[in-house]
Amino acid sequence: MSDDRSEIFSRIKGALEPLPERTPLPDYARDLPLCTVHPDFPNAWELFAHKSKQVNGTPLKGLAELAKWLIADGQTHGYCDPALVDKVRALPEFNGITLETEFDRTRFDDFTFGITKAAGVIAETGTLILKDQSTSSRLGALAPWVHAAIVDEADVYPDVRTAIENFGDDPSIIWATGPSKTADVEGILIEGVHGPGIQIVCLDA
Amino acid sequence: MNTLDRQVPASKSIQLMATCLCDAFFDDVAKATVQVLEWAGCNVEFPEGQTCCGQPAFNAGDWKASRQVVRHVMDVFQGEKPVVVPSGSCAAMGFHGALLEFEKEPDLPQVKQLASRTWELTDYLVNGLGIEKIPGKVSARVSFHRSCHSRGTCTGPSAVKLLSSIEGIELLPFGEQEQCCGFGGAFSVSFPNISKKMGELKIEHVLADNPDILASVDMGCLLHLGGIIDKSGREIPRKHVAQIIRDALVEAGEIKE
Amino acid sequence: MTPKSFQQIDKFARDLPKEVRATVYDGSKSTSEKRYDSIWRDYPETADVLRETAGKVKQHTLEHLDQYLEQAEKSLTAAGAKVHFASTGDRANEIALKLMQERGVKKMVKSKSMVTEETHLVPYLEKAGIECVETDLGEFIVQIDHDHPSHIVKPIMHKNRRQIAKSFEREGLGDYNDDPETITRRARVHLRKKYFEADCGVTGANFVSAESGRMVLITNEGNARFCMAATKLHIAIIGIEKLVPRDQDLSLFLNLIGRSGTGQQLTVYQQFINGPKTPGQPDGPEEMHVIFVDNKRTEVLASECKEILRCIRCGACLNVCPIYRQASGHAYRSVYPGPVGAVLSPLLAGDKFPELADLPKASSLCGACNEVCPVNIPIPDLLLCLRDKGKREGAKNASAGTPPMGMYAMMASQPSAWKAAMRLGYAVNITPQAMMNVVPAAQAWTSVRQLPKWRGGKFRDWMGEHDKDAK
Repeated sequence: MSDDRSEIFSRIKGALEPLPERTPLPDYARDLPLCTVHPDFPNAWELFAHKSKQVNGTPLKGLAELAKWLIADGQTHGYCDPALVDKVRALPEFNGITLETEFDRTRFDDFTFGITKAAGVIAETGTLILKDQSTSSRLGALAPWVHAAIVDEADVYPDVRTAIENFGDDPSIIWATGPSKTADVEGILIEGVHGPGIQIVCLDA
Repeated sequence: MNTLDRQVPASKSIQLMATCLCDAFFDDVAKATVQVLEWAGCNVEFPEGQTCCGQPAFNAGDWKASRQVVRHVMDVFQGEKPVVVPSGSCAAMGFHGALLEFEKEPDLPQVKQLASRTWELTDYLVNGLGIEKIPGKVSARVSFHRSCHSRGTCTGPSAVKLLSSIEGIELLPFGEQEQCCGFGGAFSVSFPNISKKMGELKIEHVLADNPDILASVDMGCLLHLGGIIDKSGREIPRKHVAQIIRDALVEAGEIKE
Repeated sequence: MTPKSFQQIDKFARDLPKEVRATVYDGSKSTSEKRYDSIWRDYPETADVLRETAGKVKQHTLEHLDQYLEQAEKSLTAAGAKVHFASTGDRANEIALKLMQERGVKKMVKSKSMVTEETHLVPYLEKAGIECVETDLGEFIVQIDHDHPSHIVKPIMHKNRRQIAKSFEREGLGDYNDDPETITRRARVHLRKKYFEADCGVTGANFVSAESGRMVLITNEGNARFCMAATKLHIAIIGIEKLVPRDQDLSLFLNLIGRSGTGQQLTVYQQFINGPKTPGQPDGPEEMHVIFVDNKRTEVLASECKEILRCIRCGACLNVCPIYRQASGHAYRSVYPGPVGAVLSPLLAGDKFPELADLPKASSLCGACNEVCPVNIPIPDLLLCLRDKGKREGAKNASAGTPPMGMYAMMASQPSAWKAAMRLGYAVNITPQAMMNVVPAAQAWTSVRQLPKWRGGKFRDWMGEHDKDAK
């Protein structure tokens, strides 16, 4: 109700009014939160791969590598972004793998992997960026045990701050740093709670 | 901690706040403090009217009672001389706690004035007087309990610097060294079960190293820990850092016992 | 001898089953160590600068809250979300229920949100016939056990795997199996069905950027993502103190919250949401509603303890607190346990402050909580402030076991009386223990510890002689 609104604002104003002065917004250096404690790497993707592995992420280079990984893991049936499917199917390595381009939620258990587009990655933290506008299906990127996000080399951001500056106007941005996990039971780390148990980021090189 | 910027004092003339615990139980700690300060070239004045810093009531939540005591402290410790205290917690009462409870009081400026010249002993020796090395030898394996009231102040590093400068002293790292011993003033009697558990945990970690001395800059912590140790029938000598420094100086022939 | 207990929290700690204490102690200690390692490894020079800066950003936001709240409202509205305000917890529940009823919602899936614990949203909705499912693994276990979270980040810190396995067996989630991986897989399968059946997802938010309206949802499990992928209606219930000025400020907070809470560089999932799903996206909410809740936060803002509203609910102060480690979260009898709870809970209690006025006493004032706080809240100072408030308001449970200070203050401000007492104190050396025990504080002391020999006035004598010698 609008009454609640005006009540809250007037209480806030009443609470702040007696303050003799107010704390200014601190002017802090752009790189203050930047974490630089890591080995040197020749490029941002290599740093990403290093950080991603630290959190049990699976960085891969090239779609052929992805196909090999899926086959080695016994993955044969999954979801694929319709915009990517032709390119993927064109690769001989994907022979024997069934790809559906619609995630049918009534058969959610049929999809053991999902392939969607990444909006970018963050090298500093080993993080995958998904944006609603470029993710073909939220469920396809979330429900299967294995999620593979395909990222372009141009979308490798160096750090958290740069990734934030490139939010754009997307209404739903997701950062995923490694696979889904929990430590709720006695602090023991278990991966794959509600989200993917395996999080692949594949550089489309 | 919301501490005031302090100027390095110009004079070596100081006022000693001996603390109520030294007044009641630990006279040798206060004595050692005087001996060490005089060795460092200080002229030590002991204002006779001193009692307590006001912290017991402050921590107990009775700020009105505490302010009454702090006002007495201000009466007793007048002037410009540094006030040196052999206790991290009483010093913190002076330069931090008192400011909080006087925030809305008319005599806040006087409280600030006293706060700005209140020093914990080892902090004063190192950062006020520039002492880095204690002559003499004390052969002992020492577990140093950094009392919590010196968190965020220069006391911890100062005490460690002075202790490790003494020949023969080996400082022992022990488990959960940063954890509180469970004293906490009135907390020790109003939460006796938790306080005891915390104390026992600390003692367990300390005893694991089998040290020769358990040392601190706060007799409050040692009163509590020592009390548990004594009750359990175990034996481990407790010493204030001032006593260890004094022993080193005596050994070096710098001062008489 | 077990000491007598005066304070409810001390009593709770005394009576806590050994097994629970061990679980809580180990869990909080190891998480605390992870925090320490990650923050000092990654910011060896600037860890404290980072905390202090983040604290100032939050303090600034709170002191301009009217401005930022209005800006957030505008940004969210512009992005297609609908914004509501609730002055109390009850109002927040009413608004949420009305939104659900208008859309025929029968099942709701929920990700972890402390503010909905405050408002008792789930029992309220259940009474109105809406099935509610907590999806965070810990919260799910709390829900099936009809229990309460004992930690703001790790709700089942107080439970071990055997207890959980029994609960799963009782709920028909398979035969008894206490392997944590099996427990997790069974929850995955069970909750997956719930997501797809639900019509509505309810979340909280960790931060809201006033600049863009983006709310940030942080989870490790991905349950908030699932709530936002499988359902058509998103309701976010958010305390008004969650604001930060700009998106870029999130770079500070995101780097701090994961490390502080669990020792992770970043928590696994960070979702930045300011509206319903994008056109063309097949999955996710078509409507997004944000309910900003006051529920006494403006009273806290007007108090001397407004700094506590900076809190980003990382749980670091709980994990490091020696009292929390001994007492566990349920000892605090409120939604927010530990040091932050000892400040926040009595304040949020409003008129019922005296009932929780003992919480601020449950601290040795060691300051560890302030040292680890990612927004540098001076928690010990706030605890002291509330002790003074409790004393002024005559809260009985707060003063239990605390020796009265009137006599002390009288003596300590009269040197002659003080010195006389120092001499009289020798009586302690010859007082039998039984007589000491007449005074509760003395009994509490001696039941745990011995007193050293009284030596009152000895130093004064020595100093007098010493000064004479010098002259």
